[in-house]
Amino acid sequence: MTAATAPAPAGERTLATPSGFASDVLALTTRSIRALLREPESFIPALAIPLFFFVVQIGALGKIAGPAFGIKNYAAFQLPVAVLFASANTAGGNSLVLDIDGGYWDKLSLTPVRRPAMVIGTLLGEMFSVVSYSVLLTLLGLAMGVRYAGGELGGALGLLALTVLFGVGFASVSVAVALATGSVRATQTTFVIFFPLLFLTPGTLPRSLMQGWFKAAVSVNPITYVLEAGRAFIQETGVAFNVATVSKGFIAALAFCALTFSLTALAFRRRARMG
Amino acid sequence: MATAIQATKLVRRFEEVEAVRGVSLEVEEGEIFGFLGPNGAGKSTTVRMLTTLLEPTSGTGSVLGHDVVQEAATVRGLIGVALQEAGLDPKQTGRELLTLQARLYGLRGAVLAEQIHEVTELVGLSDAIDRRIKGYSGGMKRRLDLASALLHRPRVLFLDEPTTGLDPTSRTLIWDRVRELRQRYQTTVFLTTQYLEEADQLADQVAIIDRGQIVRQGTPAALKAEVGADVIDVAVDDRECGAARVTILEMQERGELPAGELRGTASGYTLFVPDGPSNVAVLLRGLDRAGITTGPISVSRPTLDDVFLAATGGRMASRAAEESSPDGGDQRRDRDGDGDRPGATTGAGTGAGTGTGRGSA
Repeated sequence: MTAATAPAPAGERTLATPSGFASDVLALTTRSIRALLREPESFIPALAIPLFFFVVQIGALGKIAGPAFGIKNYAAFQLPVAVLFASANTAGGNSLVLDIDGGYWDKLSLTPVRRPAMVIGTLLGEMFSVVSYSVLLTLLGLAMGVRYAGGELGGALGLLALTVLFGVGFASVSVAVALATGSVRATQTTFVIFFPLLFLTPGTLPRSLMQGWFKAAVSVNPITYVLEAGRAFIQETGVAFNVATVSKGFIAALAFCALTFSLTALAFRRRARMG
Repeated sequence: MATAIQATKLVRRFEEVEAVRGVSLEVEEGEIFGFLGPNGAGKSTTVRMLTTLLEPTSGTGSVLGHDVVQEAATVRGLIGVALQEAGLDPKQTGRELLTLQARLYGLRGAVLAEQIHEVTELVGLSDAIDRRIKGYSGGMKRRLDLASALLHRPRVLFLDEPTTGLDPTSRTLIWDRVRELRQRYQTTVFLTTQYLEEADQLADQVAIIDRGQIVRQGTPAALKAEVGADVIDVAVDDRECGAARVTILEMQERGELPAGELRGTASGYTLFVPDGPSNVAVLLRGLDRAGITTGPISVSRPTLDDVFLAATGGRMASRAAEESSPDGGDQRRDRDGDGDRPGATTGAGTGAGTGTGRGSA
């Protein structure tokens, strides 16, 4: 280390150079997406289950939805439910917890990678799934005669933006659990928070027809407003396309993300501290 | 020569278990340092602290003068690490894994391509590099892991039990590569092992760790010399007449041979003296002058296991067995903390337990 020492032939430096945050995120996101594409077996059920519910709901209630709920097009009414359902059905923290459990997380941690890039790369991979599901379901909706509000493209993009926010927010819950516990089982069971969040909503019928405790519970669930904003982007759902509804939805989605991202950040610090 | 690795009173506690209890060591640049000890002795925990993966409970560590906690990012750019359980993403191909790793070290373009080519050749994986890691054998994974640790041409290389569980051919290959790296790039190598032979073959300096503490440190030769004498076995004709015995004792009296215990054996004598190889020649000349015909003769040196025995009062193999016996709860946590088996072999069920163990550590 002193100037007097003969320089080692290898030189004082290694080939490592600062790579930049964006480059780290890009490299890790590429890897996440590649892993998703190589496992269509986990990709397909995530889409099949929401589709199943979509079809069953329409079959059961489609004919009576008009007279009973005053909804002209029940498929249109159900489409945002399917889209949100699918976007909550991503692998989330599963790939991350497998990395932690298998030791690959340690291997990546040994490089000079910016730590947050390791989590952001995973979340961007999830975002890729959310976008793929949403696009597929949107196309399906179009084929079934669902029409978007505010111009076809505008409405579709609005719904997509909302879905991405919700999906990434949701995925980051299981990422937080993965980081905090490093436990495969705990991460997989994060899925249960899905039930109150997605079923205590106006998923089947409009909020105006609800009563009692159920209506109260639905009204405090932020996902209710995300779903209603999603419906506002689609015609004939009984939800008007207006600034108030749409902004409530985005505020709810952003608040949800703020909460789940904070949890992830806390869990991330905890893991970074203990290695 | 500058100091490559320094540890000062490193301690790491996992809840009630103290896995590392005050480890101090110093490794010179360009040296191959063998960190020898049985399973569960605290080798991996020490490596995890020195490689920035785990914060010490107390004490400090530095690599090339950079503190492993305060300057972790700098240290990461200087070191290459192959952990004991090679954590490799099975869904990627070898090349994809190396490329990602190289990018995170900031390599790109031609340098990236050259380095991937070089390290792949070095570990002999060129044929398999475009296959998914899922299909690799244990030895191939280990070699890929070593390759990935070399991509950025680290100045200090940490190898945590690089040959445990490998077949003899792969083991020899790893040994050759380690020597080659030191020769080509003057890479400093910190190598943990539970194989006495490996430390003996490769290391310039050895530290022996047992139950979280270093019990001996020095060159393998010095450590063995500390144990004391070499062992010369000589067979002689007409042993019963006792002429050989008299001759040897006389030589010791005259100072031609150093003092040392002499024991009779079935066919001759065993002499315990320092520096066996040069004294065996003296002994043979003396016996020859006295007209005594000798039979088979052998000189053996004490092994590092003898060093371990002298330092701890137990053999390494039996100590390892002892470490992994009864007392399940503590032991399990200890191993988790040690990072020896990061749950890679388990399914979701036990994986949950392992993860929680480490999570709460």
